[in-house]
Formats: sequence, structure tokens, C-alpha cells
Amino acid sequence: MNTSLSDSTSNSLFLRGPALGVKLTLLVSLSILLMMGENRGNPQLQTARQWLSWALTPITWAAASPAEVVGGVDHLRSRESLLNDNRELRERLLKQDARLLRLESLEAENIRIRELLASSSSLEDRVLIAEILATSQDPYRHQIVLNKGGRDGVYRGQALVDADGIMGQIVQVNPGSSVALLITDPDHGIPVEINRTGLQTIALGRGDGHGLSLPYLPGNADVKVGDLLVTSGLGGRFPAGYPVGTVHELKHAGGESFMEAIAYPKAKLSQGRQALLVWSERALPSSGTDDEPIAVPIDLPVKPESRSPATPAAAPAQVPAAASNPTSAPAATTTTTPSVPPSAAATPPAAPPAGKTTAPPALAPKPGTP
Amino acid sequence: MITSLGYLASLVLALLLQIVELPEWLAIARPAWPLLVIGYWALYAPNAPAIASAWLLGICCDVLLNAPLGQHALGLVVVAFLIRRLSGIYTLFPLWQAALALIPVWTLYVFLMFWIDGLARHAADSTLRWMPIVSTTLVWPLCAGMLDSFRASRARSRNRMRLP
Repeated sequence: MNTSLSDSTSNSLFLRGPALGVKLTLLVSLSILLMMGENRGNPQLQTARQWLSWALTPITWAAASPAEVVGGVDHLRSRESLLNDNRELRERLLKQDARLLRLESLEAENIRIRELLASSSSLEDRVLIAEILATSQDPYRHQIVLNKGGRDGVYRGQALVDADGIMGQIVQVNPGSSVALLITDPDHGIPVEINRTGLQTIALGRGDGHGLSLPYLPGNADVKVGDLLVTSGLGGRFPAGYPVGTVHELKHAGGESFMEAIAYPKAKLSQGRQALLVWSERALPSSGTDDEPIAVPIDLPVKPESRSPATPAAAPAQVPAAASNPTSAPAATTTTTPSVPPSAAATPPAAPPAGKTTAPPALAPKPGTP
Repeated sequence: MITSLGYLASLVLALLLQIVELPEWLAIARPAWPLLVIGYWALYAPNAPAIASAWLLGICCDVLLNAPLGQHALGLVVVAFLIRRLSGIYTLFPLWQAALALIPVWTLYVFLMFWIDGLARHAADSTLRWMPIVSTTLVWPLCAGMLDSFRASRARSRNRMRLP
């Protein structure tokens, strides 16, 4: 036995020198190539990763089983606690039903008012319930794996919510599963507005597992501890109006012109096994169709005939409002000054602000050009 | 045949332990199991294909942890190579001294992971990142001892079969 061991070591001593170095350089350069390729978004690497993750699902299941066994103890609870739970849930359902009734009437009212404003109404979002298969076990990557994938119509960038608020967004879609990045991940940023004041800013993940940071607040911004943050819908990725978190702490370093707020997410990111995937209507169409509502909120009811001949500015006005019909364009130019502020004040969510940002530049050059 | 099965089983077990769900306060100090197992085989089993399996195991880690493809593979390959190269020195030490002597290698691995994360613009809390070095060092004697006893029992049973 001893001789055979020393034989093998001495044999490999001769083989070792060059073979080891060659192997090392080969594999290291292969790894670097893989990382570079993936950084460029190589589609073949994407499919390779999907296949590998499919092949490794038994390991994922096996790793999740201890947690399921611990959760399985849940089944062995007493009848009384189940009855209690049942009663509590019934009461909650009743309350929520009552609120829902009110919500329906409010929604109907909102749709009517939006129609009066002639802006697009997309209050109803399509949702899909997904089971959380696994959470990322790298403590520096806040990701979860869901059991819904490309086959169910999940797309990259889709918003993920739970009963209390926004959880995150989908970053990778496999055929039968998908990976979502949570809002507390340091790579994640989400456009939010402070519900009380409407102040818009961006919330970044802090990476410590349970915090969001709002670093871009002006020093005199009106923010208080306990303020609710909701999605602003800017950027079109997240549907507007979902709760994101509450402000927990304000940091204002003396002498600096910005202050930072720390918020805790509303969603229960590390609890529960279900999440809702939301199809936000605005995220689906490309930017081309997004432009349409831009032309509409600049409303056209006020006397289109009386002033249109007086303005040669009508012609350049058609350039920014390219998609809309030419008859509404002159009307838009004449009535812009009174109509823009109300539309800006009334509709903070996604598309109108997009219109807001493009409309003033479109209007600004007009007095100059003719 | 049986030892190679045991070899594969140890690698799969390392993967499992790396992704099994732990409470948050424990997950931060999770020892790098693939690193431990690859380190052991590279050090004490000169015939095992440690470098190639380090790369494959690393790719599996990358897929399971959703890291950039190649990140853990690179780190594990470098570690396997270093330990192979220095195995002449390391095998001279008793187990606990080897545990101390291996700390620079674990540090290099964690630094590589940290550095690649930085290149990939994945900002992360940098103070707690070094915790796995401590836990890996603490777990090393246990892990190495268990794998040792596994191999010893295999060898004993083989000898017993050969002797008559």
C-alpha cells in the first residue's frame, strides 16, 4: 500500500509541472471569457445557463427540503389554533370585502374622471400567483427563484409584489422558472414618490437585507419619519401607486446639501412562499405607442376654430405631437398654457409625467421659431 | 470505483451545503463548502482530478447562486492550483496547523470573489464579506477529518478484501 502511494505521487510529480500550469491558464481564461461574454449579454450563454439551472433543479429541491420539513411541522398544529386562524381570516375577509366594495365604486369614479381628462386608464393590472422556490443563499445577492417562467408569459423586468407592497423585479426568465431581484439588493433602484407630498426620488437597495436608501433628497425636502413611499411609475417598469416602504430614519450630515433617508420595505421579503407577478399595461408596449397619451392630455375642448388661424405656430406644433391627428395639434398649441398645469397636478403616474417632460420642450421653441 | 463515487458524492454534498437555506445571521458566516472539499482533495489526494472538478463545481455554484458565469469557477480553479502546488509544504503540517496555514488561500479566494463582484458593479457590504474566511478555517479540521476517516475506512475495507 505504501509503495503504491509513493509510486503514484512520484508519477504525478513528473506530470505535474507543465500539466497543472496549462490546465490553470486554460480554465482561468475560459472563466474570464465566460464572464466577459455574459457581460455582453451573449444569448447562447443565456440558454446554457438556463439548461444548467434546469439540470441542477434536483439539487435546488434537495437544498430546499430541510426548510420544508421545518415548515411541515406546521401541519401538526392543534385544531383550536386552526379554528382561531379560520375565524381571524373570515373577519379579515369581511373587512376587505367591505373595502373592496368601496374600492370598486372609487375605481368606477376614477375611470369616469380619467375619461373626462381623456387620459388612458390602466388601473386594472393582470396578475399571476407564483410560488417562491428558493431564495439566494449568497448573503450579498437578494434574489428569489419563482416557479413561473417564460411558458407562463413572464418577461424580464416584470414587477413582483406581495400583499403589502413591491418585492422586486424579474431579472432572468427560464422556461419553467424565473429569478427575481429584490428591492433591497444593492444593484436595485426603484423610482418612488413620497405619498404625503408627491416628492419623487429613487430608492436604492442598501444590501444589508432589510433596508432601502433614498440618497438623492435635497437638504430641505419635506420628508418625515413614517412617510409612505409608493411607486411613481416613472420609467414604466413598475406600475404606479403600489406601496414600497416607510421612511425609518433621516440622516442629514451638517454642511452637506443632500440628505439621505433610510426606509424599510413594506413587502415581507423574507417571509411567505407566494408572490404576485404584475403585468403593468404601460410596460408592455414599446416607446412608440407610449407616445400617444402624450398628445392627448393637452386637451382640445376650448374653441379650436376661433384662434387657430391666428397662429402660424400650428405647423411646428405637429412635429412633437407626430402621432396625433393634425386637427388636434393646432388646438393643442393654443390652449396649452392653461391646460398643462392641471394635467400635471391631477395625474402623477407614469405616462403623463413622461408627457410632462416632453411637452414643455416641445412648446418652448415654438414662440422662437416663427 | 467506490472512492470515485465517494469523491463525486462529496462534491455534490458541498454544493448542497452551499445553497441549503440558513437563517440570515448564519448565512453571512456560511463556510465556503466547495472550497473546503476541493481544497481537501487537492491537498491529500494527488490523483484526484481536482482542477477540472474545481472548475465544474464552480460553474454549478455560479448557476445556483446566480453569479456571473465563471466567477466561482475562477476562484476555485486558482485555489485548487495553489494548494496542489504547495501540497508538499502543507502535508508536512498536522491538521490544525494546516488549518492556519491555509488562511491566506481562503483569503485569496474571498478577495477574488469580492474583486469580480466589484468589476461586475455588484456593490456589497464589504465588512462582513470576510466572515467566511473565519468560518471556513474553523470548519476545515472537521471537514478534513471526516473526509480522512471516510477514505481510511474505504482503504481498510479494500485491504481486508485483498488480504485473504
